[in-house]
Amino acid sequence: MVGWSGRRKALTILAFTLPTIIGLLIFNVYPLLLNTYTSFTNNNKFHPYPDCSAGLNNIMVPYCWSFFENAPKGLGVPFKIVQPIYANYQTIMGGLFTLPGIVSILTIVICLVPIYGSYKIDQRMERGLERSLPAWVVWLAGIVLSLVLLWLIGANAWNKIIEAGDFMAVVGRTTLFVILRVPITFVIGLIMALIVSSPGLPGKAFWRVVLFVPWAASSVAILTSLVWQFFFRENGTINQVLSIFNIKGPVWLNDPLYAFGIIILVDVWYSYPFFMIAILGAISSISNDVYEAADIDGATYMQQLRNITLPLIRPALLPAIVLTSITAFQMFGTVWAITQGGPIRGAGLPGSTEFVMVYAYKQIFQLSNYGTATAFATIIFIFLFAATLYSLRLTQLTKGATA
Amino acid sequence: MIRPPGRLMRIVQILILVLMGFVALYPIYFTLLAAFRPGQSLYTFNLGAMFFPDFSNWTWDNFRVMLLESPFPLWVKNSLVVASATTVLSILVVTSAAFAFSRFSFRGRSFGLIFMLGLQAYPGLLSLSAITMILTAFGLYGKHLGLILAYTTGTLVFSTWNLKGYFDTIPIDLEESGMIDGCGPIQSFFLIALPLARPALAITALLGFLAGWSDYVFASSLVPAPDSMKLAVPALYGLSINLGVPWGQFAAGFCIVVIPTIILFLYLQRFLESGLTLGGVKG
Repeated sequence: MVGWSGRRKALTILAFTLPTIIGLLIFNVYPLLLNTYTSFTNNNKFHPYPDCSAGLNNIMVPYCWSFFENAPKGLGVPFKIVQPIYANYQTIMGGLFTLPGIVSILTIVICLVPIYGSYKIDQRMERGLERSLPAWVVWLAGIVLSLVLLWLIGANAWNKIIEAGDFMAVVGRTTLFVILRVPITFVIGLIMALIVSSPGLPGKAFWRVVLFVPWAASSVAILTSLVWQFFFRENGTINQVLSIFNIKGPVWLNDPLYAFGIIILVDVWYSYPFFMIAILGAISSISNDVYEAADIDGATYMQQLRNITLPLIRPALLPAIVLTSITAFQMFGTVWAITQGGPIRGAGLPGSTEFVMVYAYKQIFQLSNYGTATAFATIIFIFLFAATLYSLRLTQLTKGATA
Repeated sequence: MIRPPGRLMRIVQILILVLMGFVALYPIYFTLLAAFRPGQSLYTFNLGAMFFPDFSNWTWDNFRVMLLESPFPLWVKNSLVVASATTVLSILVVTSAAFAFSRFSFRGRSFGLIFMLGLQAYPGLLSLSAITMILTAFGLYGKHLGLILAYTTGTLVFSTWNLKGYFDTIPIDLEESGMIDGCGPIQSFFLIALPLARPALAITALLGFLAGWSDYVFASSLVPAPDSMKLAVPALYGLSINLGVPWGQFAAGFCIVVIPTIILFLYLQRFLESGLTLGGVKG
């Protein structure tokens, strides 16, 4: 731009970005640093307050800041840096690095090898001109083989991992949740998008709005999920409808498996519109000529779907899938309103729907285990940070924008 | 054009649409019915009344109690105040940051943009205990101002990216011609580029408003008490976990809080479609 240089330019830029910088420093950077610091201390409900003369407390912990007049100080034994310094991380993940832990993880990985194998075979066949086997046969074989392996040897290993500590139990369940939820959401979103975009459908705009409602409701998930919880109560709508057919429904939310399924169901309800809208956008950008050419060649609907629609919407959807996975991993409100993480199998163990965020929330706000909870948070952050960077590369969102 | 499907396929399609449409709307519809039903239970053992309005038992009682005899109007007012303040503040902060990132080139610009996205990877819920401490240190804990500041920072990264992207599409020639006519760079930006960016500003405003209006986690931990300070969403949730919950009143409150939110979101939808992949980053 014209007429801007030197100190005047620097000051203007600073003036415009300063509110943002201060906001991020206070509400994002500082909590991250404080949490990382806390994860090396034994800060918990028995040691809630710092000894301000020790370590970095004077700088890091707000209770020690001199302008903080009414700071609660000196109650009980002050918290301090733990010895060894990684002790909290050991508590969280410790069991994982013992021999049985490593063996169990390797077992699970081996069980998943067939799925990876079918991916590789599928890719190889994609490159060749002729396919000796249809793709779905390869994938089905891989998935069935994996499931059989998991059923035979995986279950035992899984139990060992869960016993190894809260971390693996919680992260394992959350990962399972994401793995189940995202494909289901995708398939439902795809079906609905294909139907809504089908030519000559009456009331297109109307259906679009109606089917979008759950995503809109997800912004107040904590309240809407309460309504879902009523449906699955002992005398809820579902059991009442079942009782017409003389079936006595179970107490859905007290059963670990049902509760897990219900969380998936409700979260799918919230998020299929996201995929529907994303796929609708991708479909509308496909040129009609392609379909006309396929029509002339006599391709059936399924052939067009498999060979035109799906491959052409894939680039647009990959980022959407990665981003939804990250969001699903952090899901909180739905679980909190429906099960609060339960049902629990034993005292002190995380419940069967206690996903990452619910676990962290309970540890921090109900049990005040700041030390171990922040160690947990730090590990989760490293995961999420890596996933976010990967998704940025995938979306190429930052490409050009920052050039 | 894909061929229109045959008659049988069309019937199947419409059946699926009707079924999914029912599933999509039923939870909201169910609560709406419960809000007009007398008695304090969300369910009725009269199964018909779960699907059709029961006009013989129609009552406005729940709404009357919620609006006249409970602190509910106060909660809604608090929520409106916090949400509006967040909207105004985030527009001011976001516009100035997006302007700087879009119109100036300076050292650390691309680093700053990527760094903001990286920070977003740290879930707000995990930093909440630290935010509680720092707000206590500044004497803002339990006050609406602390909440407003937290929400504004929460929407900051997504909105800055969004608005900066929009500014980038507005050709700088327009502003330069304004400068030739005697405006300064800032003046020409405000008079020329800003009015052109109205759609993106609308998203920024709506997202800011929704952040303040619909949040539960921050509001419930940063302003836990007293009753008169609470925000609508956490207060309604708090109502539901008490023993002897007045469910009919909860349903009435739900309708007043949730249905406008849904309508707002439906309005937002057409803006969001273009930036949908970006929408995921918002998390």
